Amino acid sequence: MSALAAPIIGDHYRLTAPATVIPSVPGPESFEAIVDDYQRRLYGFALRMTGNREDAEEIVQDAFVRAYRALAKMDPQQRSELRLQPWLYTITLNVTRNRLRSKRPTNVALDALADPDALLNETQEGPDQPEQIVDRAADMVLVEQALLQLPMHLRAAATLRFIEGRSHPEIAEILNQPIGTVKSHVHRAVRILRRILGPQVGRIAPADRSAAEEED
Amino acid sequence: MRCSDVERLWDEMREGIEPAREHVLAHLRGCPECQEVYRENEGIAYCLTCLPLVEPPQSLVPKILEHIKATVKIAPPDSLARVDSPLGTLFVAFRHSGITAVALDGGEGEEAIVARLQRRLGRGLVPSSCPPQWVTDIVATYFREHKTDLAKVDISELTPFEQSALKAAASIPPGEVRSYGWIAETIGQPTAARAVGRAMARNPVLLLYPCHRVVDANGQLNQYACGGVELKARVLELEGYRAKVPAGVASRPR
Repeated sequence: MSALAAPIIGDHYRLTAPATVIPSVPGPESFEAIVDDYQRRLYGFALRMTGNREDAEEIVQDAFVRAYRALAKMDPQQRSELRLQPWLYTITLNVTRNRLRSKRPTNVALDALADPDALLNETQEGPDQPEQIVDRAADMVLVEQALLQLPMHLRAAATLRFIEGRSHPEIAEILNQPIGTVKSHVHRAVRILRRILGPQVGRIAPADRSAAEEED
Repeated sequence: MRCSDVERLWDEMREGIEPAREHVLAHLRGCPECQEVYRENEGIAYCLTCLPLVEPPQSLVPKILEHIKATVKIAPPDSLARVDSPLGTLFVAFRHSGITAVALDGGEGEEAIVARLQRRLGRGLVPSSCPPQWVTDIVATYFREHKTDLAKVDISELTPFEQSALKAAASIPPGEVRSYGWIAETIGQPTAARAVGRAMARNPVLLLYPCHRVVDANGQLNQYACGGVELKARVLELEGYRAKVPAGVASRPR
């Protein structure tokens, strides 16, 4: 199957949107379900945005506290109209922004995010040999670093699009921007990443992933 | 189709948007540069999707829940009763410490009123089909004597300024009116007439704290929270106040 017919992202994306029914009166008991459903997703997002596990943890905590406060103040009408997932992403992004702003200048300490153990547990690829896995971890660190070099708004767009696998309309909702702006941010992010990663890309990505060769 | 279009459309195509896809493919066939760009873009997207999913620490969920418990105090909801009155149905919010809000239906409908009260109070409201005697008594006493035992009305969560302005309003005898400036002077802030106006507009406990007895310096009724000026005139009329007609400079309250 060609890369065009089946976007890579569809194969890879492992988390599907949890179908949380928003409780009409959120108390500590019902909020727990929301936390359970979304903590991995928001943590992953915050981690990619900051490159730092400690920051990601605190951002997610803070975001959930804000969400809880806001939910508790909403009336049933507002709650029934709320789109939980984009809303939670938006809150997480705002907390991330504030945090990174106050930390500037950022001397991003890479937290060895791409550890070989995590890669060993991946099931999507065939069984790799250990030395390939180590190479791969090194490559992933390159990708992480490249992502962290992007300006905040482009990093957010690229992360939501390719790592979180969100659609353009949902990203537009999360970032509160027109869809056209989202597309152009995604596009600019990819262009910069292309410049940063350049030749490495060919090595990391499998060679058969090109469009022109795959036509019938 | 130009090369710049292809670059722009690349990400859309990943969503399988067909017309664009055909055009892009047609262009790619004849343009090696775009093929290269396309390949690189796909490569970038692939690299990003390959980043490992990092699991949050096991301790994260309990930490979050603890954090919420420690930092967020959610007040228990007030009760909300519907009480019949000469002005139609009153919506009365209360808790053990007293009545916290009174609203009239000025035509906006019950749902909107409840939503507005919840926003104003900053907590939930639970319907009470059979309000306790003391609540209906306070309402009945107001309509009979235009007086209220303010010990049973809880405005403790308003700002100190709002509280003192409302207490000053409560000192106006039924059947009379005073100006915003009068209230401002009474509470020792003679320049705060405008702020008094805002405090009156935000009065959650209509009738019981008689913000309707506070009017413009020239005697115009100005505004009223629910139902507008006509309702304010009706409330004042029930209390025995007769607005001098035409309301103007002649009827300047002291």
